[in-house]
Amino acid sequence: MGLQTPRMRDKQLNIRQKKELTESQFGSLLAIPAMLIFAIVILYPFIKSVYYSFTNEKLLSNETSWVGLENYLNNISSNNFIDLLINTLVFVSITTFVPLVIAFAWSIVLVQGFKGESFLRTITLYCWVLPIASIGLLWKWIFDANHGFLNELLSKWGLISENINFLGNTTTAMMAVCVAMIWHSFPWMMAFLLGSLNSVPQEQIEAVRMDGGNNMSILRNVILPHMKPILFVIVILSLINRFQHFDLIWVMTEGGPAHSTTTFSIEVYKQAFQNFNVGQAAATGMIWVLSLSILIFVYMRRLKEDA
Amino acid sequence: MFEKTIGFRIFFWVILLTIGLFVVFPIYWMINTSFKSPSELLEPTLFPLKPTLEHYWNVIQDKQLSVYFKNSMITAIISSLLATIVSAYAAYSFSKFRYRGRKTFMVLILISKMLPYAVLLISIYSIMRTYGLLDTHFSLIFAYITFTLPVGTWTLKSFFDEIPNELIESAKMDGASQFRILHKIVLPLVIPGMISVAVLGFVTGWNDLLYSLTLVTDPDKRTIAPGLVFRYLGEASSDYGGMMAASTLISLPSAILFLFVQRYFIRGLTSGAVKG
Repeated sequence: MGLQTPRMRDKQLNIRQKKELTESQFGSLLAIPAMLIFAIVILYPFIKSVYYSFTNEKLLSNETSWVGLENYLNNISSNNFIDLLINTLVFVSITTFVPLVIAFAWSIVLVQGFKGESFLRTITLYCWVLPIASIGLLWKWIFDANHGFLNELLSKWGLISENINFLGNTTTAMMAVCVAMIWHSFPWMMAFLLGSLNSVPQEQIEAVRMDGGNNMSILRNVILPHMKPILFVIVILSLINRFQHFDLIWVMTEGGPAHSTTTFSIEVYKQAFQNFNVGQAAATGMIWVLSLSILIFVYMRRLKEDA
Repeated sequence: MFEKTIGFRIFFWVILLTIGLFVVFPIYWMINTSFKSPSELLEPTLFPLKPTLEHYWNVIQDKQLSVYFKNSMITAIISSLLATIVSAYAAYSFSKFRYRGRKTFMVLILISKMLPYAVLLISIYSIMRTYGLLDTHFSLIFAYITFTLPVGTWTLKSFFDEIPNELIESAKMDGASQFRILHKIVLPLVIPGMISVAVLGFVTGWNDLLYSLTLVTDPDKRTIAPGLVFRYLGEASSDYGGMMAASTLISLPSAILFLFVQRYFIRGLTSGAVKG
């Protein structure tokens, strides 16, 4: 570096400081498009929704007045509320944990690497790429009460004497919708799990094997611990996504029959865009956010206890 | 990885057959139905005895469905490209720079998925209505970008995190501007991640039903998902052949895209998740 006079050093410092200012400015500038879109599509509507939830806004009439907690109370005291909560919880948990198990078993099979494995992997991912509208129509067709494949199969095998109206029956509708959702969900989980399985360190497996461990102990001591982070991520992502989910249920049952497949998102949509009761819908939405937050909180708490 | 014990073999074959069937059969059924001639549609035959292309032909020639298809192409492609760029910029910003509000904003983006989209839709609907933007491609494109933003920024951020700071420092020493560093040096390094995000963005936009159902009511601007719903849950609800043919056809863009980028995609998504 050679001889530096104090003046030279100061100048260098100043230049660096200037550069750093410009740098963090540049950095924040980069994030502005995202911030802008976020503010317009997410933040502002959310704040407006919170406001709506305390009013009797109907989007059609011009009069809107503050009604305080009336919307919330209406929601909670309505007959359907408990069903709404149960439906949502059932839907969200079944379509998170069942596909996870299926995806896990499937990943173990696929990771063995056999002929036809990549074909199977591709076909599995096709289930995820297929548009939800198509999936809804397809499974509606499979579950069809009169000519659907499932009914035909069951009666041919002598398991039922008359056709089951899977989607028209309050007891079976939710299960039918869940099956379709599981079919659609487990592929992306499989994708994540395969990636993680492929990176299990071979040395650890060897070590357990040399200690005389069998497949079960490899699973328990090497594989599961290695995959814990990804399992955690999958469950959280899935819980959040399924809470949102609207499309498949809408196509298959529109929330029916008799509200048996109505989850929070369906209910909000109906209240807002069929009944035009925006204030009520917003309140339902807020309760939804609260429920999801509680769910996530409980899940994370449970995990901390386990660890 | 696993010892081929008898127990494992049984597990392997049972899972292979049951889940394999679970995966493959519905797809097979969809394609099977789409080729059956109208007379045998209602028979649960495993194979069309009188295969026909008429359902596909009807769908392809259908003017309205073509319009829907075109609209979906426009919105999905544009929103996917924009989402990738916006996510990349934001992710780079989060990864390599420090400024006030950075952490807050990161958290906000990640949390945005937990907000009730159906409720946000209400306000978005009234904003779009106020500005006369209902029934435009613009409103959908804008909304779809936010769908992909959380996963996009999260995935790309972990890619950017991997890039050693020394690389960027030495480029700075060589006198490169921030702009140049980003576009000529850094971005090329995260191409697998960007491909993943772009594909995800496309699939998200292509598949969307809720927003497109609500924000667009003009049939000329409608996209394919609500299009299918209107057509096949309505008057054509017993046209199973056509329904399955249309369903198969609209899966093709995403499927073909996916086929090409499958390698990048899994690597792109999981590398971020496994480390992060």
